[in-house]
Amino acid sequence: MLTLSLLLGPPLLASCLSILVRRHTHLVGWAGVAGLSLSFAASIALCVEVVTGGSATAGHPLPDLWHVDALSALVALCIAFVALLASASGPGLGGDDGYDEAQTRRFRIFMNAFAFTMLAAVTIQNVALMWVAVEATTIMSAMLIPLRRTKASVEASWKYILICSVGIALAFAGTVLAYFDFVATAGDVPGSLNWTALRAAAPSLHPELLQLAFAFILVGYGTKAGLAPMHTWLPDAHSEAPAPISAMMSGVLLAVAMYAIARWKAVVDAAVDPAFTCNLLIGFGLLSVAIGVFSLVIQRHYKRMLAYSSVEHIGLVGIGLALGPLGVFAAWLHVMNHAVAKSTSFLLAGRVLHRYDTTEIEKVTGLLRVMPWTGPLFAAGILALVGLPPFGLFVSEFLLVRAAVLTRRFWLAGIVLLLLLAAFVSLLGHLNRMLYGDAPAGVRVGERGGWAVAALAASIGLLVAFGVALPSAISTLIHQSVAALIP
Amino acid sequence: MRMNALFSQLVMLGSSGMLLSALIVLWRKSVPSYISAYRWQAWLLAAVTATVAYFAGDRQLFAVAAALVALKGFAIPALLRTMQQRFGAQPQIKPYVNTETSLCVAGLLVMFAYVLARPWMAVTHLPTREGLPLAMALLFVSLFIIVSRRKAITQVIGFLMLENAIALLAVVGTYGVPLLVEVGVFLDALMGFLVMQIFVYHIHETFDTIDVEQLKHLRH
Repeated sequence: MLTLSLLLGPPLLASCLSILVRRHTHLVGWAGVAGLSLSFAASIALCVEVVTGGSATAGHPLPDLWHVDALSALVALCIAFVALLASASGPGLGGDDGYDEAQTRRFRIFMNAFAFTMLAAVTIQNVALMWVAVEATTIMSAMLIPLRRTKASVEASWKYILICSVGIALAFAGTVLAYFDFVATAGDVPGSLNWTALRAAAPSLHPELLQLAFAFILVGYGTKAGLAPMHTWLPDAHSEAPAPISAMMSGVLLAVAMYAIARWKAVVDAAVDPAFTCNLLIGFGLLSVAIGVFSLVIQRHYKRMLAYSSVEHIGLVGIGLALGPLGVFAAWLHVMNHAVAKSTSFLLAGRVLHRYDTTEIEKVTGLLRVMPWTGPLFAAGILALVGLPPFGLFVSEFLLVRAAVLTRRFWLAGIVLLLLLAAFVSLLGHLNRMLYGDAPAGVRVGERGGWAVAALAASIGLLVAFGVALPSAISTLIHQSVAALIP
Repeated sequence: MRMNALFSQLVMLGSSGMLLSALIVLWRKSVPSYISAYRWQAWLLAAVTATVAYFAGDRQLFAVAAALVALKGFAIPALLRTMQQRFGAQPQIKPYVNTETSLCVAGLLVMFAYVLARPWMAVTHLPTREGLPLAMALLFVSLFIIVSRRKAITQVIGFLMLENAIALLAVVGTYGVPLLVEVGVFLDALMGFLVMQIFVYHIHETFDTIDVEQLKHLRH
């Protein structure tokens, strides 16, 4: 219980601190980073507690509200890591980053609240309150997209809040439908909205109602997860938001929405033939991968390129969730790898944007010479995202294709491989254009290292470590998550 | 038995009224009339909630109904009206879909809702079950309002009606969700509305219009 409050408390306090203290902005910023470090440490402790078999929620005054199993701990770990990285790269900590004091303050208030709502969403076991937390993530993150108000960012924020609020409202309709069925069958018992209770009661519920509920839930949370064809807000929002927020939205917010889908899938699978949810997920997933890849090919902006790559990767996760135990394992491993790779790439892209002052791939040339630290790291991030060894995403994508073959879906494996190949070729083409050539006129050449670069290099190192030898603790954690989803 | 019949009829009356107030948005052309349609809808939602509270003997739901009146019956319409006055008279903006087609589509959506709710009606014997397809229909009509209208403020009203639809679904389907959830949903609705309001002001200041057709700089 203590660990859980140490996980959730610091970001909430940091947000309140930024609201209350208007002076000493530098100090407040570092206090926020310290708080999120504490939160990250707590998330590691939570994982250890879960892996070693101790219950992480024992002795709580409200035992019904919180429930942390391996899957919650895994996603919380990713969230805390990315939030820490993002807050350390936030405005007002380093040199001149072009944000004034009011913007810096607003960033800290909403960024910490955003981190808190995501962490709450994965540790609450009441599905309706999980919905409340997910909806709150939309509100908090939407406030940060127009941090620098331009026509493009205003447009992106409007699309984001409208499409995602509507989507998430549909997810609530699905939640109410399932609850309706539960109450009609079992009566109103306490804790009836907890996913543990729902899942236990699922076999006695009405399959046709749960199918309808799942359709609503998949479309609803799928909108938030960026599954095609509900992904239209994603490239705009992720490319217009400030880099640390793009990192959090692309790296972990999509994963939180997938977490919600996975929880509901486990409930529905207990009542309906799993083929129903699996076919839906494969359909949406494959469409997302295809649309993501084709948009990558024609992309002219590097931040939008990263955003479409998220559509592709979330599609892969969706497919993985439908492919039996090995597929689910691959999906969550992929979520973890993608969280690290995408957030690092977005933060690096933010550094590139700050130097070149353009988001167009054409106008960014000679990156290796202009930014001797950021350039190679950005290249490594993109290589990781296309799934090259020795990075972790290679392993998870390989396992995913293997899972498709083992479940005798050869056509699926074939299409996914072809699409991955297309993504590989187009991303490398774009990367090539950015890395080499002469520096454009008026762009300063040369770059000093520093702790910010060191942190980003460390996360690239982490990706290599995941690719070369996955720590056994993490693989145990993911195996336990799989066991939590598939009985 | 007679009580149940009365209960059932009152719920059906309220739900139909809510659906009708959504159709007003498709049919009328001025934003003030949309705002009063929304206010009517919110009052009807509160009335349905209070009816369920009375017949089911649930005290908590009375509190929810009172909160609905305060928030959706007074506060949000007032904020909407301030927003409308700030923008002044907007030039007529044609929606993406004209009135006649809109009303036909709405009719089809209501039929679709009845088809969709059939398996659901079969499993329940609640006296409120007649409200279920109406709540579904309201949900689809609100979605249609959001996608077919071009003014940002109309889209916000569509979103607010979508929220009402879900609240109606919860109250007629399950006699209300647990109070903690209700409070969370209320907070989210309020926060979401306030943020949308800020964004509409952003759009107005940045683009000098609230016609979302202007928002198409971001492509591919």
